[in-house]
Amino acid sequence: MIDVKNLHKSFGALQVLRGIDLHVDRGDVVSIIGPSGSGKSTLLRSINLLETATSGEIWVDSKLITRPDPSLHPGENLQEITKAHYQDPYALRRKVGMVFQHFNLFPHKTVLENMIYAPVTVLKLPREQAVEKARALLESVGMLEKIDVYPGTLSGGQTQRVAIARALAMEPDVMLFDEPTSALDPEMVKEVLDVIKRLAGSGMTMLLVTHEMGFAREVSDRICFLDEGRLIEDAPPEIFFSTPKSERARIFLDKVL
Amino acid sequence: MQLDFSIIFNYIPEFVSALGVTLKVTVCSLLLGLVFSVPLSLFKISGIKPLEWFAALYTSIFRGVPLMAQVFMMYFGVPLVLPVKFTAFTAGTLVFSMNSAAYISESMRGGIRAIDKGQYEASMALGVRYGAMMKDIILPQAIKSVMPSLVNEFISLLKNTTLIASIGLVDILRVGQLIQSRTYRAFEPFFAISVFYYVLVMALSFLGKLLERWVNKSDRR
Repeated sequence: MIDVKNLHKSFGALQVLRGIDLHVDRGDVVSIIGPSGSGKSTLLRSINLLETATSGEIWVDSKLITRPDPSLHPGENLQEITKAHYQDPYALRRKVGMVFQHFNLFPHKTVLENMIYAPVTVLKLPREQAVEKARALLESVGMLEKIDVYPGTLSGGQTQRVAIARALAMEPDVMLFDEPTSALDPEMVKEVLDVIKRLAGSGMTMLLVTHEMGFAREVSDRICFLDEGRLIEDAPPEIFFSTPKSERARIFLDKVL
Repeated sequence: MQLDFSIIFNYIPEFVSALGVTLKVTVCSLLLGLVFSVPLSLFKISGIKPLEWFAALYTSIFRGVPLMAQVFMMYFGVPLVLPVKFTAFTAGTLVFSMNSAAYISESMRGGIRAIDKGQYEASMALGVRYGAMMKDIILPQAIKSVMPSLVNEFISLLKNTTLIASIGLVDILRVGQLIQSRTYRAFEPFFAISVFYYVLVMALSFLGKLLERWVNKSDRR
């Protein structure tokens, strides 16, 4: 489903990602953890092109979403590769849903308008159909009764649940969560995690950047540990949390668990 | 000297039609100015140097040249070098709207800049294209912070439209001059005109407040 190959990303002189290789199968739930500044969010944001890779490639659903990297195709014609496999950002983003740390609901639109805006504008769904789907999704995240209010009146937890429903309204194949509970008051974390957990159980392919170790352990098929822009562990949670291979992961876990 | 305000009442029909002219020029200029200001403000934030330069030059010209000179240029000057002919109304409205666009685009640029980058990212992540994102997500939010300066612009436009009297349009100010030349009285007509403008401006400020509250309806809890 997702293939990240030797991904590098620099912001000026600052190297944030230094060669990431990551493979995610359909239905996988992968948590990306690591110290702050390790490049977790940048990796996630690269997958729906909110960041542009400096070098390396990303493939989503067998389509190339970055420019082809010459070093990965020695002797091949790059134009041919682009022609055969490249997919533009708009098509990609329809398949990849994203949930942000700071929710990013549209404050001037009601919950319902937030829900149907992209389906109607981007997918050209008839309004009635979009509304119907929005109601069902809001119901599933327990937010149906707030359908006509503006986001400013919602709590953080409620806002994030709507934001998840909004992303799901595009019927994505993959969901990316960028620290979805980091901006929440502690008492609201659970309601959001419950929604994500249910989604993970439904077979959605998910990548999750999180600091909630207990949660990562519970829902993930794999844990990816990033440090200084490198992926230094990629293991099932029971192995990662009990017997991490690297010293750095051990130190990190000592601090957060 | 004896004041006699009754002379004003002999000119009610003139005042009514002049009020029409003043309001027509003001409203048309504001609306057109608003329309012009959108591409101008988008140029300013485009990150494309030639567009940014154009917008900066445009703004500096309309800020740097006295409005009266702009009006004369458009009405008397431009038709001599370009194959166009303006009525006083068209020339006036054109200058005022281009002038407003310069001012409005400045505050609009500020309004756009102030919008959280998360709004852009959320739109992009949902697959929304640039045009739709600007039209539906960014500009409607930017307009909110532009509202107060838009009301100010409306008010200064209303007052600045007195300049069209100088190219022959009969606005409220011109009626005052008319009365003065016919009756040799100056205090009464210009006092009446001052009251006229004052009441108009107050009414506009009030409407502006209502409008501001309306665009901010999503902030209410």
